[in-house]
Amino acid sequence: MNWKLCVVVILATATLLMADGPKGTEPRPAATGYPAHTEINGVAVGALLLTADQARRHFVSDVNRCCLVVEVAFYPAKDKPLNVSLNDFVLRVKDSDIAAKPSSAKVIAASLQKKARSDRDVTVYPSYGVTYQSGRTYDPVTGTTQGSGVTQTTGVMVGIGNPGPNPASTDKDRSAMEAELSEKGLPEGTASAPVAGYVYFPISSKKKNAVHQLEYKLGEEKVVLALP
Amino acid sequence: MRILGFLFGFLFLASFLPAYRATAQGTQQPTASVATQASPTSQTQASAQEPSNSKKEKDDGSSDGGHKLHLRLGGISLGAGYAHFSGPAFYPYGPYDFYPLGWDYSAFWYPYWGPYSFFAPGYFAYGSAKGEVRLTAQPKTAEVYLDQAYAGTADKLKDIWLEPGAYDLSVAASGHQAYHRRIYVLSGRSLKINATLVAEVKPGEAKDKP
Repeated sequence: MNWKLCVVVILATATLLMADGPKGTEPRPAATGYPAHTEINGVAVGALLLTADQARRHFVSDVNRCCLVVEVAFYPAKDKPLNVSLNDFVLRVKDSDIAAKPSSAKVIAASLQKKARSDRDVTVYPSYGVTYQSGRTYDPVTGTTQGSGVTQTTGVMVGIGNPGPNPASTDKDRSAMEAELSEKGLPEGTASAPVAGYVYFPISSKKKNAVHQLEYKLGEEKVVLALP
Repeated sequence: MRILGFLFGFLFLASFLPAYRATAQGTQQPTASVATQASPTSQTQASAQEPSNSKKEKDDGSSDGGHKLHLRLGGISLGAGYAHFSGPAFYPYGPYDFYPLGWDYSAFWYPYWGPYSFFAPGYFAYGSAKGEVRLTAQPKTAEVYLDQAYAGTADKLKDIWLEPGAYDLSVAASGHQAYHRRIYVLSGRSLKINATLVAEVKPGEAKDKP
């Protein structure tokens, strides 16, 4: 039985190793491949603000409900490793006081779960009825008698609530969303090769014509990228 | 002698179980689903779709899914046993493993033996707390693996219902480059996957072409 146990341990270890930490996304060949890009002190930076449609295609989690997603790529200088930290990012809405620092995958996932839980399904049912009445009846309210005829009624019924839990609202969903956001997120730490990943900013994207700019503190320098 | 006879009789009956499992797995999956085409390389998320309950409940075959028949067959195996296998987990032996006289009877060593699904029948059936993965694959007989465990062939797994979570999906067929994707499943959500495997070109074949 021992060798069987060994097989199990090896398989379990392999699974754990394959499921380790954030990985980010695959960086494009060069920073110029991103709509917004710059180079400073030998470090090239590229960024892309995902549209709502792009976010829907790239994520199973409904990130559009809580935040803006920016794909960021760093291309460090040769033999000069770069320390990537989410704390050094700020996303601003141009010509306004709105600015935000990135949120962690855990916070975003919890926020999405909370929003999904609070969702209420409101269903409106139209109703229409036709009644045929024969013979004469006395109406005590009006004091008149009514003959045979057709009565038509119309109305609307409103139903609120779901029969079961809302989609993506369970604790398992939160864990899955956290895993997705974390694994696709920009890897933090020292990077000696190009790295890329998504950064999540808790800003509502309701303003259609708002212009956003991404700021990143690169050592003593500040990189500002206008996101188209 | 009577006990030995009974035991051999039982082993004979039990040896049909893996064959039964292969059949059961083949018929367990819903066949009415139609996977819509997505772009070849994209992983798209469709809007949440609440399927009709009547059909799905039928597919599910009740809350314990395909375990019902397991229980019956497990019962034949002298209670050695029915185990509620809710996988995926790398069990050292299948759920029907048992130990007459302290020996491990390995006839039930699927999926390590033969092309039997690692997942219990009904594992991919609809559940209200599950999410849907709609898989389209070319070739249709490609083998599908979830978290490195064999799940079945693509033509039998068009509609996979999974617990919310992150999974490694692989689709492989001989003579083709394998398809790998990390997928994330959320309850009540539907995910379309189109895995079109590219045929491998052998160096000799490439040379022969003009």
